[in-house]
Amino acid sequence: MVAYQHPAGLNPLQRFRQAGAVLRSTSRADNAAWYRSALELDFQLHLRADGNRVDSRLFDRRSGQWTPGPQLSEAHASDLTLIPAFAAEVIRVAQAAKADSIGIVLHLADELATSELKPELDNPGALNELRVMIESDPKSILDDSSVSASESSWRLIPYPAAGSEAIATTVCLSRSWAAFLDELRKTGEEKNFPVVTRAVSAPLVCLLALPELKRDELVRPLIAVLPYPRFTLLAFFNEHGDLRLLRTLQHRGQRRPTNLRHAASTTAAALELADPEVYLLSTGDITDPQMAADLQLVFPAASIREIDWAGTTYAAVATGMAPEPQIAIGLATAPETPLASSHTFGVLRSDGWAVQDFLPVAQEVAELYPARSEMKLLRAARFARLGFAALAVLALAFSSLQILDLVRKPEFTFNSDGAQSQKQRLTFLASERTRVDHWDNLLEDRSKAWVTMELLSTLFPEKSGFLVKTFNHSIRPEALPGQAKAGFVREWKITGLARDEALEQLNILNTRDGISAVFNDVATSTGNASFKTDLPSRSLVVNVRTLENNGYRPGPVEEAASLDDSTYPFSFDLTITQRFESSDQLAVILAKAP
Amino acid sequence: MFYRQSIVLFGFVVPFAICAAVVGGGMFLKSKTSATYLEKQALFKNAENDRVGALGIEAQISKKRPHMERWIAQVEKETANSITSHLKQIADSLPSKEFQQTAVEYPTSRTGFASVSAQDSSQVRLAFRGTFRSVQLALAELESRMPQLQLQELKIDPSGSSTSSLNFQITYTAWEK
Repeated sequence: MVAYQHPAGLNPLQRFRQAGAVLRSTSRADNAAWYRSALELDFQLHLRADGNRVDSRLFDRRSGQWTPGPQLSEAHASDLTLIPAFAAEVIRVAQAAKADSIGIVLHLADELATSELKPELDNPGALNELRVMIESDPKSILDDSSVSASESSWRLIPYPAAGSEAIATTVCLSRSWAAFLDELRKTGEEKNFPVVTRAVSAPLVCLLALPELKRDELVRPLIAVLPYPRFTLLAFFNEHGDLRLLRTLQHRGQRRPTNLRHAASTTAAALELADPEVYLLSTGDITDPQMAADLQLVFPAASIREIDWAGTTYAAVATGMAPEPQIAIGLATAPETPLASSHTFGVLRSDGWAVQDFLPVAQEVAELYPARSEMKLLRAARFARLGFAALAVLALAFSSLQILDLVRKPEFTFNSDGAQSQKQRLTFLASERTRVDHWDNLLEDRSKAWVTMELLSTLFPEKSGFLVKTFNHSIRPEALPGQAKAGFVREWKITGLARDEALEQLNILNTRDGISAVFNDVATSTGNASFKTDLPSRSLVVNVRTLENNGYRPGPVEEAASLDDSTYPFSFDLTITQRFESSDQLAVILAKAP
Repeated sequence: MFYRQSIVLFGFVVPFAICAAVVGGGMFLKSKTSATYLEKQALFKNAENDRVGALGIEAQISKKRPHMERWIAQVEKETANSITSHLKQIADSLPSKEFQQTAVEYPTSRTGFASVSAQDSSQVRLAFRGTFRSVQLALAELESRMPQLQLQELKIDPSGSSTSSLNFQITYTAWEK
C-alpha cells in the first residue's frame, strides 16, 4: 500500500500526483461508499459491546435480513494482533455477499458519562459551532478542565426543552475501541474495499426507540431508565416530550445503581416533573429484576412501564441481540406517534445527535485522501485531459491534413523561377505580337494599284458604251490628334464619254447600292478587303455628272468606232470617295515599328 | 479540501493551456502555410495566366511568323534596288510592246501615308506605257513581291501615239525598317 503524505506538506504538483495515485490505486472515485456513513451502506456489521461481551450481527439492507456476524470479544479492543484476522473475515463476508462496501457500526454500551458545558455557553444558536468545537477542542467548552482529549471522546446532546437551564450536555466515551476501528479501516484501505466505521453510544440510540414504545398521547412528563451492565442512563422529558436532562448512574460493581430510586425522584422533583411516566428499557439479559420494584418506591406502580421488546417492532432482533442495531437502521423512518413529533426526537433523529460518531477517522488521516467532491473533480479532470488531448490531436490532425492538402497542390510546389520564365515568355511573345501586328497593319492591302485598275474595268466593261478619257486615283490620310491609327480617304475621279445605252449604267453607279455592288464585286474577285463596303467604319459616296457631248455627230450606230469621240452623245465625270475611319481594321498605325 | 486547487490547476488549467498551445500552434502553422499557399497560388495563377496568354499569342503569331521573317527581310532591303530588280524581272516576262517603264523617281518629300506615320518610308514615283491588262499584271506582280508598297496615286491617260497603249503614273509609299 502506498504511504500517502499529508497534503499540507506537499507542493501543488505533488498534491496533484498524490491525488492521481489515489485515483488510480483505489476505488474512491468509483465507489461512493468510501464517503458515506456506515449507517447508509447496504451491508452493515453491527457490533455491540456492553463490557461483558461483544455481539456481532450482519445486516443486509437489500434483503432486510439479519445474520450472525464474525465473532469477536472485548479483547479485540486492546489486542491489536487479533484485529487483522477479524478484519479480513469481515471483508470476506462482505465480498461473499457481493457487497461493494461494509459499514461497521459499533454500539458502545459499556460506558457513558456526562459533563456539563461551561455555564457561559448558553446560546442555543451556537449549538452547531459547539458541536464542531467539542470534537476538535473539547477543553475549550467543557466546564471540567481536567479532561483528556486523547483518552476520551465527547459529543454534544442538546436540551431543546423550553426553560432548560443548559442548552446541552456532553456525553463522554473512552477511546478504548479507537485502535480497533482504525485497524479495520486500514485493512479496508489495504484491500481497496470500503470499510466505513461509526462508533455510537448505545443508550443514545436506544432513546430513539421511545417514540415507538410510547404511542399514546403526551400528557405527563417522561423518565426513561436505560439500565446497562455498568451504568444506568436516566433521561428526563417534560410533558411535551422534550429532553430536560441526561443523567448517568454508575453501577460500581453492582447490578444496578444503589441510588437509582433517590436520583430519579429527586431529579424529577428538581426538574418539576410532576407525576411522570417511567419507562424502563432493559436492553441486556442481566438487568436487575428488582430495578422496577426499586422505582415503585418513589413512583406509582401504574406509572412504570417495563418494556418487553418482544412486543415491539424491534422483536426480531431482540431475541438474540439488544435493540440498538435495529433502532439504528430504522432512523430514516420516524414513527407517527405524538412523542416522535416532539422537537427533541425530531432533532435527535434528523440532525443525527443520537448517532454521533464518537470514534471517527482522525482528521489528519482523513485529509490524506481527496474529498468526494475532489475525487469527482479529479475524475472529471481525467476526462477533461482526455478531451483536451483528443482536441489537440484532432486539431493537429486537422491542421496537418489541411497543410498536407495545401502542400500537395501544384500551386504550392510552384516556384518563382517558373513564374518569371512564363512572364518573360509572355512579355517576349507580346512584344513579338506587337511587332507582327504592326507590320501586319502596315502591309495590309489597303491600297493596291492592280486592284484599283480592276475597279476601273469593273465599272466600265468593254463594249458597254463607255469611253474613259482620264482616270485619277489618290489617297489622303486623315490623322486626328491623340489617336493611334489614322483613317484615310480614297478618291477616284474618272471622266469619259457615254452612249445612250450606258446612261442607265451611269444612273445605277450613281446610287449607293449600285456603287457598293461594284465595290463588293471587286472585293470578291480580287480578295481585297479594302473594297468591302458593309462595315460601319467605312463610307462610300459617289457623284456622277452627265452632260451633252458638244463634239457629237449623229450617225449610224453600226458605223460608230469605239474610239471616236464624236460617236458618243454624252460626256460624264464620276467621282467616288471612300472614307475609312480610324477605327477601321485598315487604318494605319502611326507609331514606328517596335 | 487540500487537493482542489492542485486538481483545478494541473487537471484543467495546465492541460487546457497545453491543448490551447497545441491547437494554437497548429492553427499558426496552418495560417502560415495558407499564407504561403496564397502567395504561391497567386504566383501560380499569374504564371498560368501568362502561360495561357502565351499559348494564345503563340497561336496567333505562329502562322504569321514565317511571313514576318520574309516581311522584315523585304523592308530591310533598299526600296530603289528592290523595285529596279523586280521591275526588270517583270518586264522580262512581258512583251515589250505591252509594258514599258518610262520613268522612275524617288521624291524625298514625305507625302501620303508617310506624312502621318512615324514609320520609316520612302516615296517612289513610276511611269509606264503599256496595255491595261499587261500593266495591271505587272503591278500585281510588283505589289505581291513588295507588299510594303502602298499606292498613293494612280493616273491613267490615253497614249497619243497608240490607241492600245495607255500612260500610267503611279506613286507609292514604301515602308522601310
